[in-house]
Amino acid sequence: MWIRQTVVCASIIVVAVMLQLTLLSRLGLPGATPDLVVVCVVALALAYGPVTGAVVGFAAGLTLGFTPPAGGVIGIQALVFLVIGFLTGAVIDPRDRTVPILVGMVGLSTGAAALAYALILAAFGSNQVSWQEVPTLVLTSSLYGLLLAPIVVPTISWLVRRITPETAI
Amino acid sequence: MLNQRTRIILALLVIIALTFTILDLRGGKGPFSSVRSVVSSALGGVQVAASVIVSPITGVGSWWGTWGDQRARIAELESQNATLQDSVVRSAEDRARADALDQLLRVAGVGRYRIVPAEVIAVEPAQDFSWTVTIDAGRDDGLLPDMTVINGQGLIGRILSTTKTTATVVLIVDTSSAVGARVAGTEEIGILSGTGRQDSLEFQTLDPLATLKPGQALVTFGSRSGRPYAPGIPIGEVVDVSGTAGQLTRIATVRPFADVSTLTVVGVVIRPPRADPRDSVLPTPPASSNFAPDETSTAGGVDDGASPAPTPSEKPEKETAAKPVPAPSASAGATADAGSN
Repeated sequence: MWIRQTVVCASIIVVAVMLQLTLLSRLGLPGATPDLVVVCVVALALAYGPVTGAVVGFAAGLTLGFTPPAGGVIGIQALVFLVIGFLTGAVIDPRDRTVPILVGMVGLSTGAAALAYALILAAFGSNQVSWQEVPTLVLTSSLYGLLLAPIVVPTISWLVRRITPETAI
Repeated sequence: MLNQRTRIILALLVIIALTFTILDLRGGKGPFSSVRSVVSSALGGVQVAASVIVSPITGVGSWWGTWGDQRARIAELESQNATLQDSVVRSAEDRARADALDQLLRVAGVGRYRIVPAEVIAVEPAQDFSWTVTIDAGRDDGLLPDMTVINGQGLIGRILSTTKTTATVVLIVDTSSAVGARVAGTEEIGILSGTGRQDSLEFQTLDPLATLKPGQALVTFGSRSGRPYAPGIPIGEVVDVSGTAGQLTRIATVRPFADVSTLTVVGVVIRPPRADPRDSVLPTPPASSNFAPDETSTAGGVDDGASPAPTPSEKPEKETAAKPVPAPSASAGATADAGSN
């Protein structure tokens, strides 16, 4: 049972990381790159609950950090995605999952991920962050999150119900 | 809400993440470079494949051929139509790539750089504040860290690290990038650093009395044996100068010639030219009237007598220079000997 759950989570994360780095970041969209990985973490946290959400977020952050071109700092994304996965699973009651709430959660998460990355990087004393870009990045990131959510979240929850019906919330 | 086990798992993960962050930010090679190279080798191939799949993203028209067989005729015509549209899209894409390669070969030919062509296969997301890309050429093609990367417009960056089949390039607009640059047509040199924004670089002259004007072009100054930067590569154009002559520092804003946000075909300089090509690689060398006397007198006295003369004598120069550069595939084949020494 948990083997199937692990396989589902791992393959969704790997596919999301690949798509984000080879396709989405090359589309040349204005502002941030659509953060498909965060959207998938949120969707999996909604499906499996806070603890799995946190573990998935952690693993996704590390995968994204280690996959080339690997320009980011290893660990920050793992930390941010972990918190997002946990909070999503813990805050949202499985019983009132209306579409606006889910989409809003994703938009909030993608924006918060961009902001948190910049803040943590700065808190560790790095001067890599260009603050004048941060508002644009946060806004566009959550906008792309809002656009991706109605497609990605239902697809993943359908997959989860289909493949691991006994563990899904 | 939180039981014992959950709390332990969360605390453990947070501690691991923080430890990794601190270790990675310590700089230098760090403990993660070997992990990164293992993951690069494992996922590099997947990335190359994924990039092949997604590159003709507009070519989805060919999926139309699978309609039901009741209306076979319509289906057939539709599929034919889709195939034709697909080929139109593809030929446009091929033409664009051929143009990019042509421009790259022009720069390589005029400057006599020996290059290995490569394609960008992955780009770091903008929210990481790190301007790095992955290209599909690596150690097997003779690439080494610190080699110069160019495209048809000018300088792109330098190689940061390599795997067998891929390499990571840090772009000139990255905040960690600093390039020795010379104002074309003069002897003014300075340091050009990235600002993290894709359309502006910051140029600081070494001589505080230097006069800079908007519109002046910058070329690379060159390092010993051409690494990290080969000499004479066009970088960008001065758009704004702040500070006045005589102040301690003069800072100019420079717009790079190459658009780093839409990179496709790039070239890696695996062997710099024997003589500095000076300003000859620029699309419009500033040789015409104001700088010509200065250029010939100083250049003749300083380093290379073979420095290219102004416009009139440039045409034969171009023709002879273009000859030694073979087609991209041939030059990629010729890299084995260059890479080994």
